Amino acid sequence: MTSTSITRRHLLAATAASALGLGLMRPVRAAGGTTPIKIALVTSLSGPFAALGESMRAGLELLIAESGRQMGGRPVTLLVEDDQGKPDEAVRKVRKLLSQDKVDVLCGVISAAVALAIRDIVADAKALTFISIAAANGLAREAASPYIFRPTKTSWMLGHTGALWTYDKIAKEGGITLGSDYAAGREYVGDFINTYRQQGGKVGQQLWTPLGTADFAPIVMNLAAAAPSFVYAFFPGADAVRFLQQMRDFKLQDKIRVIGPGALFDQEDVLPAAGDAGLGGVNTYHQSPGAPASAAFAAAYLKARNRIPGEASTSAYATGQVIRAGIEAVAGDIAQKDKLKERLLSAPVSTALGPMRFDARNNQAILDIYVNEVRRGADGKPFNTVVHTYPAIQDPGPKA
Amino acid sequence: MSYYLVQTLNALSFSVLLMLTGLGLSLVLSLMNFVNLTHGSFFLLGGYVAIHWIGAGAPWWMAFPAAFVIAGAVGLVLDRFPFGRFYPRTHLMQVLLTYGLSVIFADLMRWGFGADTVSLPTPELLRGVVFVAGLPFPIYRLFIIATGGVLALGLWYAIDRTLWGAAIRACVIDRGIVETLGLNTRRIFTVGVVLAAGLGGLGGALGSGMLSAYPGLDEEVLLLALLVVVVGGLGSFGGTVLSALLLGFVTTFSRVWLPEFANFLSLGIMAAVLVMWPSGLVVRKMRQV
Repeated sequence: MTSTSITRRHLLAATAASALGLGLMRPVRAAGGTTPIKIALVTSLSGPFAALGESMRAGLELLIAESGRQMGGRPVTLLVEDDQGKPDEAVRKVRKLLSQDKVDVLCGVISAAVALAIRDIVADAKALTFISIAAANGLAREAASPYIFRPTKTSWMLGHTGALWTYDKIAKEGGITLGSDYAAGREYVGDFINTYRQQGGKVGQQLWTPLGTADFAPIVMNLAAAAPSFVYAFFPGADAVRFLQQMRDFKLQDKIRVIGPGALFDQEDVLPAAGDAGLGGVNTYHQSPGAPASAAFAAAYLKARNRIPGEASTSAYATGQVIRAGIEAVAGDIAQKDKLKERLLSAPVSTALGPMRFDARNNQAILDIYVNEVRRGADGKPFNTVVHTYPAIQDPGPKA
Repeated sequence: MSYYLVQTLNALSFSVLLMLTGLGLSLVLSLMNFVNLTHGSFFLLGGYVAIHWIGAGAPWWMAFPAAFVIAGAVGLVLDRFPFGRFYPRTHLMQVLLTYGLSVIFADLMRWGFGADTVSLPTPELLRGVVFVAGLPFPIYRLFIIATGGVLALGLWYAIDRTLWGAAIRACVIDRGIVETLGLNTRRIFTVGVVLAAGLGGLGGALGSGMLSAYPGLDEEVLLLALLVVVVGGLGSFGGTVLSALLLGFVTTFSRVWLPEFANFLSLGIMAAVLVMWPSGLVVRKMRQV
């Protein structure tokens, strides 16, 4: 029982002393010009997107570590906040980051609902914000904002290219679409159908299932009975794993071609759990661990976390690369927001996703979209192999 | 015709999972009058145990008993502390305690097993399909149906036909009288909680081959299990089985015919059942003294 040696008075004294110390230190550091740049990552470390959130944080941390924990000559501190995948929670956290922590740059956001919820707050505060994953088309269109950058895809970019590939290489008719019945599913599948029809293709049945469907077997049986020429499908996370496994369990994996946006076959989030059930799948994605642009990052990430990166980690890393390019252009003087913007809009940044240019109309990234086919990789495990690249795909933007 | 036969088998396999979790929850909730919202955590824990058991190369068929034993052991610890102190307290206090615990367990499992979705490495023996009138049906699902059927029969026999079962049922109706007969009711409750936790774990182990395991599955399953128990009727074994079958079939066939409205339809029908029979499908006959 030695705890009696610390009394409340000691604690008070220590607190007072440290407060005084901090108070004294602050002006000195500011005068030295090396106050850290504060970057805030808003992501989901609990709730349905927890696995993506962990990967996102790991990706961004890897970039900051590789940059020597500094950008444009100033040290960088990273603040991570958990939005639990809930819009109201995110709004609370973003308000706190802006008013209390006085962060310089915000980035992250997995859920589109979260991105749309915080959009007005960051737009009103003119806070530099980089949306890393949320793909809602609206953020490149009516909800675009001058200080919000999107170093990621829009739903349209994946649905559209998926349709081009399907029409050219898979079938011109007789396909079925199948999607999770929520905003993202509706966008991906809707954009796929529009482009596929514009190409001259005919889409058959369209099926929707509630998000978080426990058992896909009834629908998989429907597919078996309908014997379509292909299935264009979108499910996120655990739903994707279950869908792919149940396709395999019912021996449809080799009979019906499954194509979808990349999340259905994400290298980090889905394939390790789905295993061989993912083989043969085709996806259009702005990310591929097999793309040359991502080779260096993929190797570093594999070393750091012993897993091949998927969208969440690569997007966060690429977001970091974009932020770094911007900060270096203003030599660390983050207050010059317009100069920083100008740099990002004027020339491409080379990122782990590929060369990235920004559209001046809406700050939306113009990206190479890869067609990945899931084949056995060097280690015998399913691997997203690039079979084609659609260069510089640009969202129709505000006029669409 | 064969198409509907296979869809019926699909419905049966989903019903069996609902039944296994529902029976565990029902044992504690209706027979012992204890609201245990950690039941979903037992399910998820059982899933993780089975996945890691088989992943580690141990004999696969032992994975299911292992999930039962480990989840049961957690139940035993919880029964010693803190459940034991909450048996005599109000339902609200029990809800607060067990809900809080389920949140803690969710965090512990995310820390211990990671946040990724993982699936059961299905053993070779169960990986194939059988052809039911020309349509493929996975053997693993037949295995789930068979295991669930055997377990339900065994449990029914234990609760309805043995002295232990009679003692548990008697405890609920009048604990005081049972004590005067010289039985230790505290110990009987412990057996009930351990059995329920084990069943939850076993359900999770079997289910992980169909549903995978991931953070959040615990809540989804708890919700379904509560639905099954409440619609079935508190305190009734047959009601729980019946309501699991009803929910399983309604969910499956609404996915077959109207996938877009599957949740709406299945929850709507369950709600309608409750409106017509407010105390559930099967009402326990209580002797009024």
